Amino acid sequence: MSKTKRVGFKLDMTPMVDVGFLLLTFFMLTTQFKPVDVAEIVLPSSHSAFKLPDADVMIVTVDKEGNVYLNVDSQNLRAQLFGEQNKLKAGVQVQLNELGGLLRQARIRNPKLRTVIKADKESEYQIIQSVMETLQRENITRFNLVTDLER
Amino acid sequence: MADVDLSQSKGKQKHGKRKKSKRVGFRIDMTPMVDVAFLLLTFFMLTTTMNRPQTMEINLPPSDTKAEVAESNLLTLRITDDFRIFWNIGTEKPNAVDGGDKKAKLINLGKLLKGRNSANPKLITLVKVDGKAKYIDMVDIMDELNINDISRFSLAPMLDDDKKIIGTL
Repeated sequence: MSKTKRVGFKLDMTPMVDVGFLLLTFFMLTTQFKPVDVAEIVLPSSHSAFKLPDADVMIVTVDKEGNVYLNVDSQNLRAQLFGEQNKLKAGVQVQLNELGGLLRQARIRNPKLRTVIKADKESEYQIIQSVMETLQRENITRFNLVTDLER
Repeated sequence: MADVDLSQSKGKQKHGKRKKSKRVGFRIDMTPMVDVAFLLLTFFMLTTTMNRPQTMEINLPPSDTKAEVAESNLLTLRITDDFRIFWNIGTEKPNAVDGGDKKAKLINLGKLLKGRNSANPKLITLVKVDGKAKYIDMVDIMDELNINDISRFSLAPMLDDDKKIIGTL
């Protein structure tokens, strides 16, 4: 008898589907895709828990080989600094002697910019040191180093 | 399973009887749509990056300021390219921080800095890292300073004189 009850058994899936769509909407609206990196960077780890600000950042990237790239988060500023053809790039390679001037220009156009150094953990300290000296010369005495959280 | 039952309009029977009667018990199979929705849900759940990267803040004095520091208040740390740490106060002879591996050295360094800073609250730490060292070495030292709440520090380039003092040149 108990078997005959199972014939034509139906389960109302509507609530589950509702929740599914709710979650889908949530994730679609909140998702932020991982920003494209100009070079492959393996970050060093630290115990520091400051978060990287969302907007108004200027990122100086140093890769393993010691190449220096500069990137700003706004497309308009990027076009002003590096020309229209670099508007959509994730960063432009710069020489160390040009870096100071570019940083100054960027800061004139947007004084709220925060400077961030993102360097590969295997890169030579020499280059980081020159970058930091450039920052110091441009009177950027407060800057951040991007790191991974150490567990 | 996920069907929409549009058979509520059973009771309402109007003039166009032939056309409407087809609609009785009308069902759409929603299964494919729900499948796609869940597929997207899984995709967004897996690709979303909730955590923003961490950063470490560094404050350096502007390059044109020259601060006069009493010799006894200055602790100099010199880090070589093979991660040996030498420390000295003022113009004393540098001492190596002992420890087998990097981690042990860093822990010892932390203890040392903490002790010295509580003994002399006016102590300023000057960090000199060899240009051939790796970036991670410098970050590790900064991290150790941050963990031990040492905010009065500065970075300076390692000159040939410094290398002579610690005997690597």
